Amino acid sequence: ERNLVQAISREAARRRRRVESDVFGDLSRLLPLQPSVRAHLDKPSVIRLTLSYIRMHTVLKGNSDEEEKNTEEFEASQETNMYLGILEGFVMVLSTEGDMIFLSDNVSKYMGLTQTELMGHNIFEYTHPCDHEEIRSNLRLTKRDFVMRIKSALTHRGRTANLKSATWKVLHCQGRAKVCVDPSAVSCLLLTCRPLPLSHTLLSRYTFTSQHSMDMRFTYCDQRLTSLLGYRPEELLGRSIYDLCHALDTSCLNKNHLNLCLKNQSVSGQYRMLVKGGGYVWVESHSAVIPSVRPSRSRPGIPQPLCILSVTYVLRCVWADPPVLTVLEMTILRISALTLDSQTLIVNLTIIIVIIN
Amino acid sequence: QQVKMKCFREPHRQIEKRRRDKMNNLIDELAAMIPACQPMARKLDKLTVLRKAVQHLKALKAGMGSAFSETTCNPSILPHDDLRHLLLRAADGFLLVVSCDRAKILFISESVSKILNFSRLELTGQSLFDFIHHKDINKVKEQLSSSEMYPRQRLLDAATGVQVQVDAPVRATHLTTGARRSFFCRMKHSRLTEKHEDKHSLPTASKKKDTYRFCTLHCTGYMRSWPSSQLDSLEADADKESSTLTCLVTMCRLYSHASHQPSKDINVKPTEFVTRCAIDGKFTFVDQQATTVIGYLPQEVLGTSCYEYFHQDDLQHLAGKHRQVLRSKEKIETQCYKFKTKYGSYVSLQSQWFSFTNPWTKEVEFIVSLNRVISGPGHTKDEEEAGSSKALQDDIKQIPVIPGFSSGTGTMIYAGSIGTQIANELIDSYRVNSSPSSGASSPFGPAQEKCPLVSPQTSRSVSDLNNRTGNFPTVTNSNHEAPTGISLLGEPAQLDLDSMVVPGLSSFSSDEAAMAVIMSLLETDVNMGQSGELEDLHWPF
Repeated sequence: ERNLVQAISREAARRRRRVESDVFGDLSRLLPLQPSVRAHLDKPSVIRLTLSYIRMHTVLKGNSDEEEKNTEEFEASQETNMYLGILEGFVMVLSTEGDMIFLSDNVSKYMGLTQTELMGHNIFEYTHPCDHEEIRSNLRLTKRDFVMRIKSALTHRGRTANLKSATWKVLHCQGRAKVCVDPSAVSCLLLTCRPLPLSHTLLSRYTFTSQHSMDMRFTYCDQRLTSLLGYRPEELLGRSIYDLCHALDTSCLNKNHLNLCLKNQSVSGQYRMLVKGGGYVWVESHSAVIPSVRPSRSRPGIPQPLCILSVTYVLRCVWADPPVLTVLEMTILRISALTLDSQTLIVNLTIIIVIIN
Repeated sequence: QQVKMKCFREPHRQIEKRRRDKMNNLIDELAAMIPACQPMARKLDKLTVLRKAVQHLKALKAGMGSAFSETTCNPSILPHDDLRHLLLRAADGFLLVVSCDRAKILFISESVSKILNFSRLELTGQSLFDFIHHKDINKVKEQLSSSEMYPRQRLLDAATGVQVQVDAPVRATHLTTGARRSFFCRMKHSRLTEKHEDKHSLPTASKKKDTYRFCTLHCTGYMRSWPSSQLDSLEADADKESSTLTCLVTMCRLYSHASHQPSKDINVKPTEFVTRCAIDGKFTFVDQQATTVIGYLPQEVLGTSCYEYFHQDDLQHLAGKHRQVLRSKEKIETQCYKFKTKYGSYVSLQSQWFSFTNPWTKEVEFIVSLNRVISGPGHTKDEEEAGSSKALQDDIKQIPVIPGFSSGTGTMIYAGSIGTQIANELIDSYRVNSSPSSGASSPFGPAQEKCPLVSPQTSRSVSDLNNRTGNFPTVTNSNHEAPTGISLLGEPAQLDLDSMVVPGLSSFSSDEAAMAVIMSLLETDVNMGQSGELEDLHWPF
């Protein structure tokens, strides 16, 4: 008697599980996935991806139909690949809690983990604990620009390894917040994430490279500097970059320096570099820490300690003549500084005008 | 799965429970996203939620239109249009394809209208140079160049970061897919339709005297060549020997200034100016606004000690603040104090000081001072009387007792030495605290996994600091060479104090000489506190 009851309940359980599996199957078939990917999804992943799908639907709802929607599938994919290629990175959509709602499929190239493996998980599971604070504060602002360390399962040779042996990879993330009005006022973060490309960049006359010791003192700069800022490279050796820049940009440089010490790569954002003779120029530096090089048989040479390599872009070209005040302007300034009441000031300035005329 | 990683020995029960909990959480999240599951009194069971999810997805697809409902193999999950849109939105950018020979805009994505306020139609087919800031035209030309106009290309060796000079003229190999470009430039932003101006583009646009504003863009991309046989719609240049069309394919992102503004609490108003000095108080940076307040030009003040300008009544209080700021991470507020202007009179200032510590060496490198003029009628008369005696300019009288200084009677102390003394105290404290061994200890603890670290330098003398911080960077005096400081291998050059002071404008033209004469005449008047009669002045002309 009891055996029968048990048998019935076991059969009921089996049936429930079958029904459940069927529903999971229905759900996964509704998701835009490749069949090979779909076949290997476990149940939690199906739910995760469903959640992402629903959320992305909300995000894209505000999509205006400016873009041509009727592009050929092939062309469209080519174009998208081109965009992603130019970006040299992947796209990430984050919820305010840090859930990675969406990742473009090329994320596997950078992290060694596939889109479907990652979507729906939380970014804090994959990033360096010391960067969590920064990531959290960035989730709240409107315009983002920060550098973070994320787990990468890629080996040196580009193969995918186990997550257990993951290394840290540095990514530069930029983007903005998007507020979705319907159905609930949800907001999320749209980000492009890319490793910083310091190599194979064709440099122009309007950029210069420099090397620094870890305390940010110059150990080398290239000749371009002279035409851009007026200094000879020798003049800068041993000097701190903080001396070379506007006092109000101290915090910007400090953040850049900290990023370099902790994460090995950084993008400075714009700051002012002082030009020899007066005035300044707005620049942005992309920097990375170069590991110490010990000469070996295959690469003989001078041993090189740990140092920082910077590529600095001039954002706006230097004025032909730096904005130093003319003598007249200086004189007027001095008179203004001296004169204690407006009446006397007027008298003094009138005298000047008389003389000039 | 990360969960499995951690628990080797956990009973199977626990693993199962965790799995169930995780599943339940996911189901709850799913229920929260589906409208049909929402206003339910009791919690729905798993199967019902899943069924409702299926219905919801079907409904979404039906409502969405063909693109998003594609279930056939779409590797990105999102349809391409959407992904592209997302990318451009995230990047605040647009795609630009420009021909290299004539800088003709071959293609530009629709998102440009959000960024530059020009429509796609207005721009396609135009010359790119019509839209670039005139000062950036050469820069962009260089990026587009494919000829031997700019033969010296510079590449970075990825492994060592060392620059490799490529002196040979640029060959076509450099232009094949993969030759990367990255640069900043300013493009015109149309003001024609004012109402469509996005909020996000305003902060970056800078006003110009004519009708256009400009946005700074960061353009990254690569060069791409197509053999002209493939192109029928585009012009093929018959006179070019190579029958290929070379283009720059680039994504132009709006360059955001907002995220890198100086912190909001540093807000410099017109009656304020910023200075920076070394830890011994010698000025290393003075912004130009200072001249309106103190009369000196920045060049005249660099390298001199701020103590030379403080009134003797304030020395004690300011020396105390100086000590304090070197040891504190906070902003230090001074009380009102008097600062001597160029002509002897004093101006009342109040300053905020904060010290900057080098993150690598953990030593204080400099002090930034935000200085504010305190105006008031009471002050000026006192200052006039106090400042009119030129004697103050020349010798420093006996100064009141300052803690830490030997105050023997009749001691004459050069004001600047106060700052030097305070700085030396700090450096000594570094020497005492620093560890003697140079190991692989990182200032940043075990979090720094990747690179072995070199222990930072610790002890420095004041003279080193003088070398590094004095006389930098604005020196217009032709007689005075900027010191080269420390070379890589040699010892630091010792400089004496005298060479630190920049005499200022010593190369005058005749106009300048005339002005100087006038100034000296006026000075006399002002210092005496009288307004002179015109007839009394002897004009040299």
